[in-house]
Amino acid sequence: MIIKLAYRNLFRNFRRTALTLSAIAFGIMMLIIFDSLLSGVDTDSYKKIIDLETGHVRIFARGYRDDMDEYPLDRSIKEPQAVIAVLAKDPDIEGVAPRVSFRIMLSDGMGELPAVGYGVDPAKDPSVFTLKNSIDGSFLAGSEEAMLLGDGLMDDFGLKEGDYLTLLTRTKYDTYQALDLKIKGVIRTENPKFDWSSAVIPLGLAQRALDMGAEVTEIDIRLRDPGKLEEVRARLEKQFPHLEISTWLDYIEDVKAIGAAKRQGRLFLFSSLFLIALIGIANTILLSAFERIKEIGMMAALGMKRRQIMALFVTEGAMIGFLGSFIGAMLASAAILLYLAPVGVDFSGLNFKELGDFGYRMTNKMYGEWDPPMVALTFFMGIIISAVTSIYPAWVASRMQPTEALRKN
Amino acid sequence: MPAIKLDKVVKNYKVGKVEVPALRGISFSIEKGEFTAIAGPSGSGKSTLLNLFGCLDKPTSGSVFVQDSNILRLSSDELADVRNRHIGFIFQSFNLIPVLTAFENVEFPLILLKEHSAAQRKDRVMAMLKSVGIDELAGRKPAEMSGGQQQRVAIARALVKNPDYVLADEPTANLDTKTGHEILDLMQKINEAISTTFIFSTHDPKVMEMARRLIKIRDGQIEDDSRQ
Repeated sequence: MIIKLAYRNLFRNFRRTALTLSAIAFGIMMLIIFDSLLSGVDTDSYKKIIDLETGHVRIFARGYRDDMDEYPLDRSIKEPQAVIAVLAKDPDIEGVAPRVSFRIMLSDGMGELPAVGYGVDPAKDPSVFTLKNSIDGSFLAGSEEAMLLGDGLMDDFGLKEGDYLTLLTRTKYDTYQALDLKIKGVIRTENPKFDWSSAVIPLGLAQRALDMGAEVTEIDIRLRDPGKLEEVRARLEKQFPHLEISTWLDYIEDVKAIGAAKRQGRLFLFSSLFLIALIGIANTILLSAFERIKEIGMMAALGMKRRQIMALFVTEGAMIGFLGSFIGAMLASAAILLYLAPVGVDFSGLNFKELGDFGYRMTNKMYGEWDPPMVALTFFMGIIISAVTSIYPAWVASRMQPTEALRKN
Repeated sequence: MPAIKLDKVVKNYKVGKVEVPALRGISFSIEKGEFTAIAGPSGSGKSTLLNLFGCLDKPTSGSVFVQDSNILRLSSDELADVRNRHIGFIFQSFNLIPVLTAFENVEFPLILLKEHSAAQRKDRVMAMLKSVGIDELAGRKPAEMSGGQQQRVAIARALVKNPDYVLADEPTANLDTKTGHEILDLMQKINEAISTTFIFSTHDPKVMEMARRLIKIRDGQIEDDSRQ
């Protein structure tokens, strides 16, 4: 009876109920969409890290990772070909790419900008990384004297494809080296680490320019089944005890740090939702109680107990929460599945580059990710928060004196 | 055993810092099966008396016995139980629940009682609606019925749980004269047929004429108590 009464009471003042429902639905929808975009950025960032920066598994010389921000060329892998030959026989490994990473300064004769240089093997690199697919112009070939430059740097220098730029660096033995290279292609990966601060040259050219012989700073590996990450790492550690084996998970601390901030953001949003519910539902239930003061008195006169009157109003609040949360969850799911996931939101107007590197591997677009457990959690939180915020006005209603009903006659 | 017994009942209301007396030491009892009108001008204490009869309020001093229980000693939940089991209410402005049909309004106190199956409730409610002559309107909501029809629903709701007594606060005040008389006739017939105790307040001299016992109160005291 309480559920039937509560349900019918919802439609007594349809406009007010609709207004509260809309507020709850909007809050729930925004919460789900916000979380969806952040989850989407997480997933997108992880994918870009794997596809462009780390592969699934990375091999370095021992000690390299301790100072990897310094790009220590003297801590390189001495005989990469022997390692690569072993890796090539591993059935779990899909691709192997040797790379040399090094610190550079780029100069157009007028100004200089610091950047990171990558020497990549044009033949092997695409078996691990997707860099080749993100180039405007042509990818590198052999050991040609050419470079690929991030589009952010292209903008900074005001260059176009085919122009020349000087790459300044230091060799393994700390002597100066300068290369005057033609820009063969522009890197547009949507990964700011690459697009804003990298120059890519052929591995052979890098080894020659850096006096490294056949050495490389890293060997990156793509697995056939990413689920075998730890299994492969353990195996490689046994096979190459003199080398240091790591996985992509060791390189996502910055993204994880944002994840922690995201959890706080979610808490803030839940608090905002609570506030919306508190103001909207508490107001609706309280107004409804005052409008129905005679009815409450009459129901008390008929023998309805205080807790039953309270239950009636809390049920009304929970029903508003249920309907609002349901509508919000449906609208958010539709927005994510039909637009945010396949099309994405374009933030190019915001110019993330001005914000600097903040961890996420995103430049212009955010894609939503539909996360059913999160949608369900938000939906149930909407109902619970609505019910909880109804408790006080319901208590007020239940404490009204039944004599009011008779006295008002 | 009387249906209700009042013993030296005093009821004061606080208005700001001032205590205003509403009842000044009233004592009387109403026997089962009586058809009693309580009459008096506005502010005489009629409503206060009905609130005490209805276990909706407690006296400042003195005792009110309902079914031999002193209501002063009952908790809020126990008072709700007494109201639910023993007392039927009929209000001046009908006070039906607007979102429920006539059938559901009459069924409401039976659901609160939790003693009947759905089938038993249906039989009882339909029999009661038939006895007040509106069984054909069972599916209508209050807004779809006239005042007289709504008051019949209210009477059916008050009687459906076979209460020991029915309190009616000016039950004809919101009805035209003809309908008001029909309602009083109906209450009288029910009183004669099943000996339900009726206690109603009124201003209307014609209504007072129909009562078999008339208690007149003024300034919180009984002015006259006569059986006709």
